[in-house]
Amino acid sequence: MTTTTTPRPTTHAHTAGSGVSFGHVLRSEWIKLRSLRSTAWCFAVIAVLLIGFAALGAALSSVFAGGASTPEQQQSIAVTIITFGSPFAQLVAAVLGALVITGEYGTGMVRSTFTAVPRRTAALVAKVVLIGGSTFVVSLVAIAIALLVATPLLAGQDVDVDLADGRLWVSVVGAAAAVAFTAMISFGLGAIIRNGAAGIAAAIGVVFVLPIIFTIAQGLIAKGWIYTLNEFTPPQAATRLYDYPLDGTSMLTMPGVDGSLVLEPWQALLVLVGWVVVLFAIALALVKRRDV
Amino acid sequence: MIEARSLTKRYGSKVALDDVSFTVRPGVVTGFLGPNGAGKSTTMRMIVGLDRPTSGSVTVNGRPYADHRAPLREVGVLLDAKAVHSGRSAHDHLLAMAATHGIGKARVREVIALTGLESVAKKRVGGFSLGMGQRLGIAAALLGDPATLIFDEPVNGLDPEGVVWVRTLARHLASEGRTVFLSSHLMSEMAQTADHLIVLGRGRVLADAPVSSVIAQASGDGVRVRSPHLAQLSDLLRSRTEVVVTTTEDGALDLRGVTAAQVGEAAAAQGIVLHELTPMVRSLEEAYMTLTQDSVEYHAGGTAPAAPAGGAPAAADAASATTSGATR
Repeated sequence: MTTTTTPRPTTHAHTAGSGVSFGHVLRSEWIKLRSLRSTAWCFAVIAVLLIGFAALGAALSSVFAGGASTPEQQQSIAVTIITFGSPFAQLVAAVLGALVITGEYGTGMVRSTFTAVPRRTAALVAKVVLIGGSTFVVSLVAIAIALLVATPLLAGQDVDVDLADGRLWVSVVGAAAAVAFTAMISFGLGAIIRNGAAGIAAAIGVVFVLPIIFTIAQGLIAKGWIYTLNEFTPPQAATRLYDYPLDGTSMLTMPGVDGSLVLEPWQALLVLVGWVVVLFAIALALVKRRDV
Repeated sequence: MIEARSLTKRYGSKVALDDVSFTVRPGVVTGFLGPNGAGKSTTMRMIVGLDRPTSGSVTVNGRPYADHRAPLREVGVLLDAKAVHSGRSAHDHLLAMAATHGIGKARVREVIALTGLESVAKKRVGGFSLGMGQRLGIAAALLGDPATLIFDEPVNGLDPEGVVWVRTLARHLASEGRTVFLSSHLMSEMAQTADHLIVLGRGRVLADAPVSSVIAQASGDGVRVRSPHLAQLSDLLRSRTEVVVTTTEDGALDLRGVTAAQVGEAAAAQGIVLHELTPMVRSLEEAYMTLTQDSVEYHAGGTAPAAPAGGAPAAADAASATTSGATR
């Protein structure tokens, strides 16, 4: 009985061929991502926020740039304005990242997904790669447009943007990466939590509420360690990716106290990669174990 | 070919499946019958690796589902609830499912045509009726042209035309030599579609036999008998291998496979007093309810150990019911 083989129906020939591979799963997940309206909406809102805030900031830059006399000060203000929309875009990315996976649990789609890819790992990896990659591309294009839109507006306000400055481009790429990392971290939370509302709440909590808690805590405690600890939270590390500090002072974050750590962009990148990897590993272990 | 061995599933202290073993063979339609909550969907999800058994194992075409390199080409499954994202069109859903196995657009169009979804394929699934959702689920199951098909409650929500279509499709797929495993909570539906039946009740296999013998065994006209000497009477009847004995709630015996005259004669020969001897005619549904009720206790002359009336361990039910089906 155990060695019995099943005679295959004769109609098999025309679909015979390859089976599940990572490339196939990636293609499937790409079809899934682009065939939902929520994806298109989230990406559109991310682009509008990134371009819109940069344009608005540039148009009003005389307000911020009042005392910016040196070229360094002007450059710092210009970069800050061009990347101004990133935290707002991160909020939308947090929602999108959680939705990509909780939407499958909520609708029952996840059962179809894991029936087609029963080992589950490939499906989850494909999802996180695609949500991170597509969010990065959309954000990068939007910030490039923001740069194009803001530069003449800034020039009109006597703020000159130095495009030969390497730090400018680190901030441009960093601001897009910050949005993408937020989407991937949020995906990990969504996969762990599964419920849509709870997953989005958790993601928003990390992106939006955690910085507020730390701001309050820093006000109350004002010790170096709490500033250092804050550097390792996802939203703060994301900010460090595109921050343009001048003489060690950032326009985007609370000034540190003596002895507190301030992450360089490459260090912030490692911290964010760490968050994505840890959350994804927990999510994967849970998803592989759970019944769906 | 689906082979389940000792599948057991516990959720906390609740036992959803209790040592379920069966084999679903190719070339016939096998019905999976049982009331809601009997464990049919859990079993089907286990076959395709969505749920893990607490203990036991199940293989499809000789291997655990997840070990197949191209699982959708081995098994097509329609799950009970809509397992589709409501915001995506039917076409895109099928395209995404197909892409995981490198199955092309041509096959997607084929299954859309096969299930009659052409006119709604580009519409979002959220607006689908239950019937259209079932057709989409069947279309997805057929994508890989698999040798084994598992449909959980496929006729749910279908109009009469759709019911006939599913029935015809299931029979056609089996006639091509495929393994077809359908669940339903309706005996009448199974009686018309299936060749073989596996009956599940409260997580246990109650019967595993050709549909005709399950029906005959379950719906065979019976006799109700009351007597002050029930234990003696049931011992007497147990010696007849073909008799199925069931104790009713109010303490009578329901007998199947025997006529009122035979019972009366046997009782008279042993000097057993009878208070009631009533011939009964059962409907199919009544028979099924009898089969799946807790009151199914034991079967005379089977391989199961003789159980005392009124307190038989339920494990014996499964064995006796199975045997009674098989011996016919």
